[in-house]
Amino acid sequence: MLGPGSARRRGPWRPRDELASATQELGATSREMFALGEGGGAALRSLDESPIEEDEEALREEDHDIDQFNEDTFGTGAVEDWEEQHEGLDDHAEDPDDLLKENNLAESISKLVIDSDLEDPAIMRAIPSNPPLQAPPRLNASMWDGPMVFGGIGNPFLSHLEENRMLSGSKDSILPKRPALGQDEERDLSDRAPPPRSTSPVIGSPPVRTAPIGTPPKHMSYLASQQPSILCPTPVHVRAPIHQRFSAPFNERMSPTQLLNLANSSLRAHHFQGGVTQMLNPLLLGTAQQTGRMSPSHFARMPGLVGSQLTAMKANLLQSRMGQMMPPVTGFRPYFSPATAGHLQDIRSSQSIFRADTTHLHPQHRRLLNQRLQLQNSRNQHRGLNGSAGDRHSRGSYHEQAKKDPYGNLMTQREKEWVSKIQMMQLQSADPYLDDYYYQNYFERLEKKQAALDLNSEGPKKERTKLITPQVAKLEHTYRPVQFEGSLGKLTVSSVNNPRKMIDAVVTTRTDDDETKEKLVRDKRRQTLFTIERTYSLVLEVQDLEKKFLQVSEAERPAVLEQRKSKIIQMYENLRGKQAHSTERVSDDHFVQIMCIRKGKRLAAKVLHLLSTEQAANVVLATARNLPYLVKKDSQDEVLPCLTEPCSLLVNRLPSSALTELLQQLTGSAQSSQPGSQFPSILQNKFGLTLFYVILSQGERLQSSEAASELMQDNRWTELVFAVTRELLKVPQASLAKPLFVPTNLLALFSHYVDRQTLNVLESKLQLSGKPR
Amino acid sequence: MGILKKHLVVLRDGRTLIGYLRSVDQFANLVLHRTVERIHVGRKYGDIPRGIFVVRGENVVLLGEIDLERETDTPLQKVSIEEILEAQRVQQHEKQEAEKAKSEALKERGLSIPRTDTLDEY
Repeated sequence: MLGPGSARRRGPWRPRDELASATQELGATSREMFALGEGGGAALRSLDESPIEEDEEALREEDHDIDQFNEDTFGTGAVEDWEEQHEGLDDHAEDPDDLLKENNLAESISKLVIDSDLEDPAIMRAIPSNPPLQAPPRLNASMWDGPMVFGGIGNPFLSHLEENRMLSGSKDSILPKRPALGQDEERDLSDRAPPPRSTSPVIGSPPVRTAPIGTPPKHMSYLASQQPSILCPTPVHVRAPIHQRFSAPFNERMSPTQLLNLANSSLRAHHFQGGVTQMLNPLLLGTAQQTGRMSPSHFARMPGLVGSQLTAMKANLLQSRMGQMMPPVTGFRPYFSPATAGHLQDIRSSQSIFRADTTHLHPQHRRLLNQRLQLQNSRNQHRGLNGSAGDRHSRGSYHEQAKKDPYGNLMTQREKEWVSKIQMMQLQSADPYLDDYYYQNYFERLEKKQAALDLNSEGPKKERTKLITPQVAKLEHTYRPVQFEGSLGKLTVSSVNNPRKMIDAVVTTRTDDDETKEKLVRDKRRQTLFTIERTYSLVLEVQDLEKKFLQVSEAERPAVLEQRKSKIIQMYENLRGKQAHSTERVSDDHFVQIMCIRKGKRLAAKVLHLLSTEQAANVVLATARNLPYLVKKDSQDEVLPCLTEPCSLLVNRLPSSALTELLQQLTGSAQSSQPGSQFPSILQNKFGLTLFYVILSQGERLQSSEAASELMQDNRWTELVFAVTRELLKVPQASLAKPLFVPTNLLALFSHYVDRQTLNVLESKLQLSGKPR
Repeated sequence: MGILKKHLVVLRDGRTLIGYLRSVDQFANLVLHRTVERIHVGRKYGDIPRGIFVVRGENVVLLGEIDLERETDTPLQKVSIEEILEAQRVQQHEKQEAEKAKSEALKERGLSIPRTDTLDEY
């Protein structure tokens, strides 16, 4: 990096103190310094020898020089940070009266500089307005050391002055000082909070208190040179207006020592240097957060100080320390004396803990919380603690309990609110029923209970509390990537919200030409599955609509009903297939396909509940028509019985004509007057048999209800019953399925058509009498 | 975090912790003070004092406040630590046996249920 030639030029910069100071003061140019350096170097070296001839000497000394220069630069005597040494020298020339000016500067700087930046030594150095000082070692030192810091800081300058070479600019020079400065201070380090965490702004951390670190430490250096001993301001001077003292949340965590300081602060006015040191840390910790910017002007005004300069210096010290020593928000304060607890009443009242922001909660929820609160308050009242009304009560009890619970306020109210705000934000949803089902349901039920209780008293006046978890409209987030004007093509600007598009995937539908039959079948099945899924979603939507219907106001209800209706129509169409004309018979294929699938059957059961009688009848007819086939398909799944309930509900609503037709379809005797060959298989199936029974039962009911029943007039019914009776008699008992239930009036039915003997046979066979098996 | 309100936390591995909640953050990381781990076996339970807990938010299943007035109002019976640990050991053992038997039975039938290691353990 530096050749011998340049080493030469570096000569003048060597820390030969007289030289250096001389050159600095003169503000000499490089050439001059060079000249001086040479001369000076020669002079120094040639103390032993008398300068004979400059040229000869110079030539000889050049090698010498070079070696020496190299040694100085890279060898053991190397000084790493010449800047700092030289900077230190500047201060000597400083006028003490400039301090006030510098105070203002400090103030303005502290306004400019942000916290995080100041921790960076590079940035500290870069602050132009003041001659940069030993920022890095000082800052870091203050972070890790205790009161020794100041002693440590004082030293480099001293050592510099003393040619101590401690000013290597490395922190090592400072740290070793630590043990030397007494053991007393060490003890109190346990009081300190752990080193401050990096104050990364915004995300993931509670709001950072941007207490700007104040002045650059040049003040310190100046004054440190005056007072090499440990310099620490008294507590009084640390603090801004007195009243602020108790507003700090962290005051609650002050150690006893701090509070003692508070109490005795006035006495301490004159005892700067000595024993205050050990108080410094806890104090600073306590006040750092809240007191924030302590402008030097504050200190300047403080009475009873030795000198304004001193205060200013301390202020700056303080400020820098505060910036550094910002303890993590959840600081650890293990030591809490009873005495302190007493003080802390007025601060951070427990009221803030209770009255957290509850507006986002469900009103019931809120009510519950408040109730609990009041209960506690009344409880505390009963316990007879000191107190006046309301929250001071709880504070009263808190006072007692605070004695046992010094950690109670590790989180400030602001932090708690911050966290709960974030969590409430996460609860915002466009569809609360979808996202937070249990919460909604729970409070709904609670409300209903309340409503039931209050039914007598209030009536409609009582507010129909709507669930409050904020319902945000679903926002369409179409992110438009940044487009630049005048650019050729689209520039890829990718961000977290808009990742780079790597593939342009386009859906291409395959042509049907080469599709084999199997593929067709497969596709058809897939189609059916899709249909089932779509219809299922419709069912769910209808269910939601029904719930919504109950919640929504009167005005909106028709709209909801409309929606529901349309969805149901859609469902039906999905199920049965689209009809070109209403009169045209739709093929059952579609429906049968659906019914072959397990889920389809369950779907049909659900849909049947929603359909109108006519539509439902249609569906059941189709089922009955194809039942033999379905039974065969269902042999493994055995899901058909799920249809029993809706079918029976429907059948019981059917008029006689429909009923007859249904029975006809079921028995397969649509074309012929005789039951189809498949009929026995139906009887062997649980569902089939049950349906059969249900139909018969309904028929009987119809028959018996009206005197001149329509049913009887229709021959078909009678014929059918006869036919089925014959079949029943034929079918062996063993092969008969076990129906889900046996209607009680079947016996009556059969009694109309068969003689006594047959009736008995039937009874025993079908176990119609209802005797347990 | 009110005055001396104890909180009960259930973790994903099935542990139940009871302590004073000192700090929360947006991830539901918790700082519990004077924590006690409560082991429940049947109708008995036992407390093991643990001290300070810092729980990572993702491991929290639920968190609830304990009503101090009603805290003692349980049908559960408190027993000593040794006893509850023993009971727990027995319970675990039985569970393992049952699991083993089940998996063997399934194996005989040619079925196998994969171990759901990624799910919460209890």
